[in-house]
Amino acid sequence: MVLFAALLLAACQTTSGTHQVYPGSTGPEGEPLPPPPGPVDAQPLPPPLPVVPPPLPDYPKTAEQISGAAVTSLMKRARQYRQDGQPDQAAGTLERALRIEPRNYFVWSALAQAHLAQKNYAQAESMAQKSNALARGNIYVTLENWKTIAAARNGQGDADGAADAAAQIAALQARLDAAQPDTP
Amino acid sequence: MAVKSRSRLVILVSLLVLVASIGGAIFAGYLVKLDREIRERFAGARWALPAQVYAAPQELYAGLPLNSDDLVHELQRLGYRQDARLEMTGTYSAGAQHVDVYARGFDFWDGVQAPERLGVSFSGDVVTGITDIDKNQPLDLVRLDPMLIGSIYPKQGEDRVLIKLSDVPPLLPKGLVAVEDHGFYSHSGISIKAIFRAGIANLRAGHVVQGGSTLTQQLIKNFFLTSKQTWNRKFNEASMAMLLESHYSKDEILEAYMNEVHLGQDGSRAVHGFGLGAHFYFNKPLDELRPHEIALLVGLVKGPSYYNPRRNPQRATARRNLVLGVFRDEGLITDAEYQADIQLPLGVVGGRGGGVERYPAFVELVKRQLENDYKDEDLTNEGLRIFTTLDPRVQEVLETHIVEQLPEIEKSRKMKAGTLEAAGAVTSADRGEVLALVGGRDVRFPGFNRALDSRRSIGSLAKPFVYLTALEHPEQYNLETVIDDEPIELKLPGAPVWAPKNYDRQLHGPQHLYMALAQSMNLPTVRLGLSLGAPAVLKTMHEAGYDGDAKALPSIFLGAVDASPLQMAEMFGTIASGGFHASPSAIREVQTKEGKPLQRYPLQIKQVFADGPIYLLTWAMQKVMTIGTGRSAYSLLSPDTAVAGKSGTTDDFRDSWFAGFGADRVTVIWVGRDDNQSTGLSGSSGALRVWMRVMKDLHVRSLDNIPPASVEEVSIDPDSGLRADAQCVDAITVPYLSNAGPQDWAPCAAQGSQNGPMQWLKDIFGH
Repeated sequence: MVLFAALLLAACQTTSGTHQVYPGSTGPEGEPLPPPPGPVDAQPLPPPLPVVPPPLPDYPKTAEQISGAAVTSLMKRARQYRQDGQPDQAAGTLERALRIEPRNYFVWSALAQAHLAQKNYAQAESMAQKSNALARGNIYVTLENWKTIAAARNGQGDADGAADAAAQIAALQARLDAAQPDTP
Repeated sequence: MAVKSRSRLVILVSLLVLVASIGGAIFAGYLVKLDREIRERFAGARWALPAQVYAAPQELYAGLPLNSDDLVHELQRLGYRQDARLEMTGTYSAGAQHVDVYARGFDFWDGVQAPERLGVSFSGDVVTGITDIDKNQPLDLVRLDPMLIGSIYPKQGEDRVLIKLSDVPPLLPKGLVAVEDHGFYSHSGISIKAIFRAGIANLRAGHVVQGGSTLTQQLIKNFFLTSKQTWNRKFNEASMAMLLESHYSKDEILEAYMNEVHLGQDGSRAVHGFGLGAHFYFNKPLDELRPHEIALLVGLVKGPSYYNPRRNPQRATARRNLVLGVFRDEGLITDAEYQADIQLPLGVVGGRGGGVERYPAFVELVKRQLENDYKDEDLTNEGLRIFTTLDPRVQEVLETHIVEQLPEIEKSRKMKAGTLEAAGAVTSADRGEVLALVGGRDVRFPGFNRALDSRRSIGSLAKPFVYLTALEHPEQYNLETVIDDEPIELKLPGAPVWAPKNYDRQLHGPQHLYMALAQSMNLPTVRLGLSLGAPAVLKTMHEAGYDGDAKALPSIFLGAVDASPLQMAEMFGTIASGGFHASPSAIREVQTKEGKPLQRYPLQIKQVFADGPIYLLTWAMQKVMTIGTGRSAYSLLSPDTAVAGKSGTTDDFRDSWFAGFGADRVTVIWVGRDDNQSTGLSGSSGALRVWMRVMKDLHVRSLDNIPPASVEEVSIDPDSGLRADAQCVDAITVPYLSNAGPQDWAPCAAQGSQNGPMQWLKDIFGH
């Protein structure tokens, strides 16, 4: 049993990061899991980076592409409020749109901008992050959101944070520029 | 002698004149004082107007998951009635896959919506389109008028909804005058004829059976005086009535009367005026009342308690029909209408207050949130319009299953009926809006609000926060990390030795991290917690929204933390929204009584957890539902609907909790006893039974399970926990934070046996 436990512990140490045993554990007893395999000779390499950037997935570029008629109409209304200098009305209208489509990242992105227009910097950044979290890699929306975040950090006097955001913007822009020739 | 008597006469006359002058002066002064009182009372705001609280409006748009039966149910809740002619607002006509509605207009926060005739088409359980019938135009989006769900009136106070004479159906003022004060338009405040008639009737009876008061006198009595029947008061009343008539028009007096009159009692709330009366008894606006409904309200003026249509329906019917008879005799309705109307049922909405005061637990939350921004007087006097987040459909589902399941659970456990109590909350997953709240099994009773005020031990609902704390350290923990299930004894200074046990008092051997959560094992959780440290776990709880004062002790890993059901909804909401915290909000907007926007309560969120660890935790909480303590939910829910949750059971089965979410809704249910005795129920055998029924009826949306960029899904061999490929028959897919997954291949994998010097070439050029 002791030998078995020692073997197991040894095995655990060599399997990088998969089976973390609770620190200070005296080794499994009762119903132990089948032992992991013995040490292996070589670690497989991570997949290599491609030389040519792949064409961007076909991400939606406008809200209309993923929104129902009701949300599209509310977003139009919100845009009008923004143009008329009524960002709070715009935010209220966008929140109404979110009740209909709570995971529409274009709406969250527009809501972030409406908060930025009201100098609600913390909320502008939070909403932009929420949009990023839901956008699942949509580069167009993510780029807009990072612009909002950069402006919100600037507004709050967070120069370092704004510089980080600017770096994100530059990287996204570079990816977009690199991919552009591939898009018809 | 003659001189003497003459001088006596002079003195007597002088005295009389003097007394008369003094009396006259005093009387004049008295009238001036009364006059001032009247004018002051009538100038400006005559009534303190309680704030009116509205539910969220039902939005209608193509794509909305709502079938025609649901819409009809919603319309009926709003007091709409079926009438194919669609001649007045508040009517609808329902067919298969189509409903026509004459929607009421409403002054929304962001603009006025005019009354309009709408055609709503359906395909199965989904709205496919909305048309403006009069313009024959498709509409993208419309709102129904929101339901009035309560008002904020002072303790022992009057509640009313103000109306204008110009807005009421003409039958009401005419009928009121015909029944209560026939000579209203010709007398000068008092009616000698009426007083004589009443006097004779009273003499005959030997006591007061009839009042000779005009409407003006009744108004004065309600406004200024007590109802004590004294000569002094009678005299005051008559004088003031005449003074009032000299200052104001008949219409102004009648309008004031219709807003002042007492029409019923609802606990400590006095229902005043026909505007509120219409809502209180019929759940609709005054201008939609039909003759027999108007007759009932007019009849109530004589004695709202004696003729209370909910308590004394027979008396109320007789009184209504008598009033309808007066309407007919006065030519206000035809004989045919009279004959038809006396056959109609009273049509009074059931239960406590009908539409108003229906949701005491939720309205209590609204009041508390308003108290942060408004003074009491603003709320009880200014007639504010409060727009809330309550979704009446969700509320109905939550109420139904709490009310129905508690007796079922009691019966199956052979408990005395009424032993159990319960509370529940439903919030929107991404915004933290409180959609429904129940504070006890007597859902209409405004008593102890358990959803807000009970602080009960949360038991295993604490575990997700222990595991989340671990998953935030990908260098140490992932879902496949193995944790021991071994006895633990903890000696803390000044406390007895703490030796937690598993729920089933058994040991199960080493467990994968996700399985320990799914099966709600105590010992692995305590081990994990100890390695993370109680302060780190408590910090996670606070970030998720916990605001209590629990100490950072190991007992918090197993839920020695007191919290309310709404607070648990807040904490689980943070997980449901991908790591963004939002405080539970019950209010969207506030308007002045004139309909001007006053304040908006904007959505506020804050990212408190990274999306990766939250995704992993949610994955494990889905295992709770598929293979763990929540799995019986799938006896009701469709297997295609991915939901995440956690059961909670406390020591000696005092509390039974279940908390969880789909993509759009977070629901928390608590079942227990007010005396904190054992119920014998676990989270799964108690609260889960309510929870799964609520989630099913809400048609909760499935979690989408698209991993964020920080997460990679790795196919692994469950036996070894190592990477699998097509060769491994039992391979499962497990999410890991990027670069934290296993690197080595499992023995079953083709790569596993071929790992050799040339492997890197294969990796580059593919297989």
